[in-house]
Amino acid sequence: MLERPPLTVALIGNPNTGKSTLFTALAGVRQRVGNYPGVTVEKKVGSMRLGERRCELVDLPGTYSLAPRSPDEMVAVDVLLSRRGDVAGVDAVISIVDATNLERNLYLVGQVLEMGLPTIVALNMVDLARARGLTIDVERLREQLGVPVVELQANRGVGVNDLKRVLAESVDAPAARNRVSPFPEAFQRETEHVQTLWSRSDAKSENGREPLPRYLAERLLLDTSGYLQNTLTSQAADARAGEELLAARKRLAEAGCAVPAVEAQCRYRWVAEVLDGVVTRPSQRVEIVGDRVDRLLTHKVWGTLVFALLMLLVFSSVFIFADPLMGMIDEAIGALGGVAEAALPPGPVESLVVDGVIGGVGSVLIFLPQILFLFFFLAVLEDCGYMARAAYLMDKLMVRVGLSGKSFIPLLSSFACAIPGVMATRVIENRRDRLTTILVAPLMSCSARLPVYAILIGAFIPATTMLEFIPLQGLTLFSMYLLGMVTAAVVALVLKRTLLRGPTPPFVMELPNYKWPSPRMVLYRMGERGWAFVRRAGTLILAVSILVWAASSYPHNAAEVDERLEPRREALETQLAELDVSSPQREGVEEQLVEVENEIAAVYQRESILGHMGRAIEPVVRPLGWDWRIGCAVIASFPAREVVMGALGVIYNLGGDLDVGAASDQDRLGARMRAAEWDDTGEPVYNVPVALSIMVFFALCAQCAATLVIIRRETNSWRWPVFTFVYMTTLAYGAALVTYQVGMQFF
Amino acid sequence: MHDPIPLSLLAPGQCAEVDQVTGHPDHVHRLEELGLRSGAAIEIVQRGSPCIIRLSGQKLCLRADELFNVLVRCVATN
Repeated sequence: MLERPPLTVALIGNPNTGKSTLFTALAGVRQRVGNYPGVTVEKKVGSMRLGERRCELVDLPGTYSLAPRSPDEMVAVDVLLSRRGDVAGVDAVISIVDATNLERNLYLVGQVLEMGLPTIVALNMVDLARARGLTIDVERLREQLGVPVVELQANRGVGVNDLKRVLAESVDAPAARNRVSPFPEAFQRETEHVQTLWSRSDAKSENGREPLPRYLAERLLLDTSGYLQNTLTSQAADARAGEELLAARKRLAEAGCAVPAVEAQCRYRWVAEVLDGVVTRPSQRVEIVGDRVDRLLTHKVWGTLVFALLMLLVFSSVFIFADPLMGMIDEAIGALGGVAEAALPPGPVESLVVDGVIGGVGSVLIFLPQILFLFFFLAVLEDCGYMARAAYLMDKLMVRVGLSGKSFIPLLSSFACAIPGVMATRVIENRRDRLTTILVAPLMSCSARLPVYAILIGAFIPATTMLEFIPLQGLTLFSMYLLGMVTAAVVALVLKRTLLRGPTPPFVMELPNYKWPSPRMVLYRMGERGWAFVRRAGTLILAVSILVWAASSYPHNAAEVDERLEPRREALETQLAELDVSSPQREGVEEQLVEVENEIAAVYQRESILGHMGRAIEPVVRPLGWDWRIGCAVIASFPAREVVMGALGVIYNLGGDLDVGAASDQDRLGARMRAAEWDDTGEPVYNVPVALSIMVFFALCAQCAATLVIIRRETNSWRWPVFTFVYMTTLAYGAALVTYQVGMQFF
Repeated sequence: MHDPIPLSLLAPGQCAEVDQVTGHPDHVHRLEELGLRSGAAIEIVQRGSPCIIRLSGQKLCLRADELFNVLVRCVATN
């Protein structure tokens, strides 16, 4: 027998109803995550089997209402009405509702039912409702709602099989749809009027005869923001349609059904009818453990204290757990490089594979443990319902820079790494807030900046105290972190007043019930984010690392090396070969050999494209107090800022494989930098203002291709990563300039 | 029934009913979708801005601003 065509089932529900958990329980790991073109909404599609049939499950973004006021909100409506080319026509809808708050949840169900698709209501969190003392007459609800209702505990997987069975039944035998509209006569008449009006003017309908869906006609009447009218009018030819719509609304207002207020009135009246006799509440509200916990966690003093401790715990454990793994990855990459080096003949191919490909990919993979751990903790906190409390506690602070409490966690995460920070902004619904948070997140001093600060502070800031008790080195480090935060606050304020200015909707956020996090959900989210990072960032980083490698290796100008250094190297090698294995002189000769080899590498780099670029931009960086060597290192570190230490290592003849984490290597590099001199005057290059100007530059500059790629992915446009790069680099240059020029007045 | 008072004047733990929500119709519509509508039982859990309210089985965090106004009527407690 031929297999029947796959079914498409849409999953919809309010936020915090366990929708994602149900999606994972139904589709398992067979999920594909992408973006709908032109919007920032995530497109999550999974597949499952319904008996004999294959079934595509489309997870729609969590929403309280199907009243689109932006392209992002339009996605769900378009999918349900089969108006999107990239999603197959929907055969059935699973509408998940929170049993503890049926009233609000059924508002959305009412809208879904009007679409006329076979619908199943998944009644989730029945256990929680029971704990609250609510009794729900499911049979009666089924009857009054007129569609199948399945009880569920999605986080424990209870009821999932029932849901599948009922779903299979209802797609095989779709019940006769004779939906009663919750709206009064007058409104329905106007809806039909709008429908014919728009269908007549709809250019496509000339031959296709596809009238405007009734639901959209309703929304046109109800949406006074004008979004829907603009979207649909672009395909309408009748210029009078707009006027007609205004006239229809006026008639409705006169008839006592003013839009948009009429919708809430009618829908809640319908909800009350459906719930009549269904929910029995206890006469006194039952206090559950979650309520007592919540009183502590949202307390202004204790709650804030618990939050601070929790964040301290999360971030320190991210570093503690990730550190050994990062060391292992580093070693594995080094070992792989060694294997490749041994297997390949010395030359450009070996150099490309070892330094370009393996080194480049390694610089991305090294961040994976931090990302995975951070997302593990964030997923646990989010899944158990704590995140909204954190946003509540931090709202007072964030509102001062024009953002909301929801921006706090993403920005805090960015201190570890901006990539998970940018990914974590998905919880922010307000588009302008989300963009602002994404754009300022890379200003937080991430862990890759720390080695740069550590080396420069160790080498140039005296280890003394200010005012007898403030250690100057610690103060400098703190200032760098503070600089990032203050700049982020100012940039956020400026963005919200200029580029991302717009009406701020009232800030209302649900504080969901506490629940035990679902391990499956947590692991899944961790894996998903980690993979997104590796795939998206890995490919670009690889390309850029090869570019930087090529720029620092070519042209391979051997003239100077052959003439001056090669004979010395050969002489030393011969000397080494002649010496006895146990000779005490051996060590000295070996050291000299390494020194010469490092110098050869340095000469090659000076003569390479990168070296020439460094010298070409010297006039630009000279006002910052930098010589061409620093310029070179800064150029090389644009793809990934941690490259800077390796680049400086090569430039100062220490070899490229410095371990920036090791104190001894930091000291060696510091000593070399202190000894560096200007080529023309012979004066020391580095002094305190130069060190500070470099640090300030690194604190503010967007030297991380991976972050830019993730910004591209999250905003769905190249405009924002380009903007981030330009504004941050400009800021960094300006701030470094001021630092050096002002600093020179004092030193 | 008492006279309507602004939500911010409600004492924590005191039960009340939403009398009306005023403001821009679009904003009011959004709040109604979340369950903040005339007739809903409301209670203040944490005062201030943002404040936490309990609204028929759910908790909402709400930032007081000039965009909207919630008037409530205290329900006589016995």
